[in-house]
Amino acid sequence: MSEIKKPLLSVKNVSVNYGAINALKNANLDVYAGEIVAVIGANGAGKSTLMNAIMGSVPRAEGEITLDGTPLPAKSFQVVSAGISLSPEGRKVFAPLTVLENLEIGAFPLKKQSDVEEQMQKVFRLFPRLEERKAQYAGTLSGGEQQMLAIGRALMAKPRVLLLDEPSLGLAPIIINEIFKELTEVNHQLGMTILIVEQNAKKALMLSHRAYVIQTGAITMEGASKDLLNDPVIVEAYLGGKK
Amino acid sequence: MDTLMQQVINGLSLGSVYALIAVGYSLVYSILLFSNFAHGGFLVIGGYICYFMLRNMGSSIWIAAFAALIGAGVSAVVVERLAYKPIRERTPVTLYMLIASMGMSIVIENIFVVTIGGRFRALPPVIPTQPVDFFGIATTSAFDLLSLVTAVVFLVALQLFLSKTKWGLAIRAAAYNLKTAGLMGVNVNRLISIVFFVAGLLAAVGGIFLSVRYTLYPQLGAMITTKAFVAAVIGGLGSLPGAVVGSLILGLAEMLAAGFISSQFRDLIVFGLLIITLIVRPTGLFGKSVGEKV
Repeated sequence: MSEIKKPLLSVKNVSVNYGAINALKNANLDVYAGEIVAVIGANGAGKSTLMNAIMGSVPRAEGEITLDGTPLPAKSFQVVSAGISLSPEGRKVFAPLTVLENLEIGAFPLKKQSDVEEQMQKVFRLFPRLEERKAQYAGTLSGGEQQMLAIGRALMAKPRVLLLDEPSLGLAPIIINEIFKELTEVNHQLGMTILIVEQNAKKALMLSHRAYVIQTGAITMEGASKDLLNDPVIVEAYLGGKK
Repeated sequence: MDTLMQQVINGLSLGSVYALIAVGYSLVYSILLFSNFAHGGFLVIGGYICYFMLRNMGSSIWIAAFAALIGAGVSAVVVERLAYKPIRERTPVTLYMLIASMGMSIVIENIFVVTIGGRFRALPPVIPTQPVDFFGIATTSAFDLLSLVTAVVFLVALQLFLSKTKWGLAIRAAAYNLKTAGLMGVNVNRLISIVFFVAGLLAAVGGIFLSVRYTLYPQLGAMITTKAFVAAVIGGLGSLPGAVVGSLILGLAEMLAAGFISSQFRDLIVFGLLIITLIVRPTGLFGKSVGEKV
């Protein structure tokens, strides 16, 4: 996948500090067009900080992030316009707005109404459940449906790279399976490039093509996901047991 | 019966003007989660712009009112940029903005005191105040009917703006979660400026009517801010329908108290209502109830 191709999203040497704490230390990560890349790690390892640094919602102390070779702008709204959307940790759907309004706000950077409708049809094809519930308030959806809405909302901006922060958080295993199956569809049907951070390491490794392991703010390992799934260190530390 | 009807119409009229102030105040609260005590300053700015355009420039009321609305809207944006933006960019603690807003309220008030003096000024008689017969059920003044109608027009326009436009949707989303709205590609600083502009503009509409009702003076803003605050709390802070309903309740209570008890009891009733609300239903009539599943 990576012979001479240039990465679509590239994180180079990025550090983020919260006061005296280094939440992210010189992180390097590449995502190539069309692939699913996972970042796995424990609670507080810096996964969400990495996402926030890409989205511009935390200031980075050093380093550069590029999309297709161009440095990303500093502010969140500009990052979205540049082509990166996030489905945030804890879903963060707009509870008092309807499903339809949630999707419309996701399309905020799009100028043409025809683009919005086209994107909406794509999202409804992936998540028919959202179309059935489009008039319902987002706050009345189940957790799994809210996660679908958060992903659909992020897709509405017509991103080039989709970021997913802990899509399995707080969901029942059967719902997690469903969500991850749909993510594969997002990747296949739309050719969407996905960067996902997950605590559920097994699910993330099974979904992704390549993966990075993050530990106390530093990236410690990287490789093809199927290799990492069988790596004794990973199995021991993240997959809950010996093989 | 005649007095009752008359006081009800007067109460609704006063309440609807309060609503113009309270809605802007609640709108700012819903986005930035602090009570903007400088809000009354915007209505005073609007009132004085209107006064001087009428007195010194000889403008028609339409032009004077238009200038007042735009002027108050712009000054609200300027206050936000000067006093609140530097704070909200540095800390998530909204208490500092509340304190800054108290400071800005004093600043605006005293700019008028030192430049044009603190005396009471009556707007030239541009808004008709003659008595009118209200469908034979009551006698009221043209002014009361006009302020009621104007307030309703502006509130409906606000509702249309919020429900039908792209920025309106963004404002409703931001009222639930400002940061997440930013992640949707919404320019948060521009959104906040729009909100302050709208709030200042609505305050100026109220300011013009209130300066006809009470005459215009620099401290008018502080008095009305308190009323708008009480109305917003009764309705549920941050809820726009709540602010409107709270304001109408307040206007009615004031006018009925003035008509049937004594006009000296008006403020007592106002604060009595505030206390009862805080004891019985602290979230107000329309307090937020829909939750997010985590």
